[in-house]
Amino acid sequence: MEIFETKLPGVGVRYEFETEAGDRAGVVVRRDGTRDIVVYDRADADAAIGTLELSEGDASTVAELLGGTNITVRLEQLRHDVEGLAIEWVTMPEAGGLTEHTIADGKIRTRTSASVVAVVRGDHAVPGPGPSFEFLAGDHVLVMGDTEAVAEASRILTG
Amino acid sequence: MPASLTALTGASDGAPSAGDVLIELGIVLLVLALLGRLAQRIGISSIPLYLLGGLALGEGGLIPISAGDDFIGVGAEIGVVLLLLLLGLEYSPEDLRDGLRSTWIAGIIDVVANAAPGFAAGLLLGWTPVASLLLAGITYISSSGIIARLLDDLDRIGNRETPIVLSLLVMEDVVTAFVLPAIAVLLVGATLAQGAIAIGVAFGVVFLAFYAAFRLSDRFSRAIHSRSRELLLLTVLGITFLVAGLADAVQVSAAVGAFLLGVTLSGQVADEVRSLLPPFRDVFGGLFFVFFGMQVDPRTLPPVLVPAIALALAGIASKVFTGYAAAAIAKIGRPGRWRAGFALVPRGEFSIVIAGLGVAAGAEPRLGALAAAYVLTLAVVGPVLMRVTDRRKARITRGARDE
Repeated sequence: MEIFETKLPGVGVRYEFETEAGDRAGVVVRRDGTRDIVVYDRADADAAIGTLELSEGDASTVAELLGGTNITVRLEQLRHDVEGLAIEWVTMPEAGGLTEHTIADGKIRTRTSASVVAVVRGDHAVPGPGPSFEFLAGDHVLVMGDTEAVAEASRILTG
Repeated sequence: MPASLTALTGASDGAPSAGDVLIELGIVLLVLALLGRLAQRIGISSIPLYLLGGLALGEGGLIPISAGDDFIGVGAEIGVVLLLLLLGLEYSPEDLRDGLRSTWIAGIIDVVANAAPGFAAGLLLGWTPVASLLLAGITYISSSGIIARLLDDLDRIGNRETPIVLSLLVMEDVVTAFVLPAIAVLLVGATLAQGAIAIGVAFGVVFLAFYAAFRLSDRFSRAIHSRSRELLLLTVLGITFLVAGLADAVQVSAAVGAFLLGVTLSGQVADEVRSLLPPFRDVFGGLFFVFFGMQVDPRTLPPVLVPAIALALAGIASKVFTGYAAAAIAKIGRPGRWRAGFALVPRGEFSIVIAGLGVAAGAEPRLGALAAAYVLTLAVVGPVLMRVTDRRKARITRGARDE
């Protein structure tokens, strides 16, 4: 599928594409993070007949729904398979906790038996970060273990 | 009513007391609030109603207000600066560059088709060339504020002709940033040689400012960022007024200084200022429109009504032509061309900013009244015309579905 990108000065960026069925649609990514899904009129290809306004949260939910296979679904499956397994996303605070410290500094594994299995920073993910991995403010840290250990680990991470 | 108000506020000769100023300011703000609510109720921009409010409050109006004049004047000045700062914040330096690159042919059509009628009308009315130039600016520039909001309200942000409309608005703002300083210099009444030099200097300053905006945008924005909203506001407002004042001192016009500063601010600072400042802008911007209206004696309106309506008709035709041509160049279909054309019709805040400059300098006695009548007409008629093209679209769509 070919995607055309057009800048909208003062608004954001519009991406436009044609589906295999021949419908034209677009996504407007606004500067404030909200997204519009736009469907174009078949009779007047320049005009939107419908606009769906999505907040940032809405957009990621819709993306997950459309994605089919995705992290959350797979994690749910895992949680289902191993009874008592807790999986939690922890967001690193602006300061304090382990922000700007390494995994080794926190000794999470030793102290709680929970593991840091992945870190998502901005657009990219670090699976299985090593002991020298340094956390930064805003990192999303995936912690896994039994319920108590995960709670304790999240306390260490966020301070 | 005027007599009772004078008695109430005790405004006689001599300097008005602090109480008088507060009472009159209170009245002005309450009138703004009522008009704003009315505008919301009937679904139009508040700018024309604020102007009408100003006409009613000022010299020769229903409730002549005088004690708070100075304060409202200062508030109006702050309003202009904030209006332009936030307009600049809407655009990044890249937006400006890309806008200029992609639509410069349409931009030239825009200047020629829309400034020429104003200039010609000024000369026909026997105005000086400088006053005619101001009128050209007033008829040229569309209202980014009204248009951007309407495009959103009418769900046209995703439309293919919308980037063209937005780029033209950017272009107009940039052109005005260059032209306003030149007009400011001419208004001072310099001789041709002095004027030419001063205009050269002003152009140089604006050009340098644009260059600096490109180069230093990121570093500057990071340097002034603060996590505390209070500190961020104080810093940004402080820099804004300083830059606007300095720009004014070198004849670049405070408005242009604020606009360029807005363009320079980017990233997180821009995001936060964009969420913090709009309420301030709306209050002080409201004062600006009222203040402009107050300076226009309503009794001077009837004589300029005919030229104003003629100019408004020309202004509708020239903008529709501009938008239609710009969309045609970009290979937009016929309905989209009409939509782009009618979308450009509303005039508003920037026309009043330009007119305010001329009124303050006493360029032409009829300028204020003519600009007020022109903007009043197009700020109301423009959005209505935009909605009309929308209904046409709806009908076409329904027809297509029935087949």
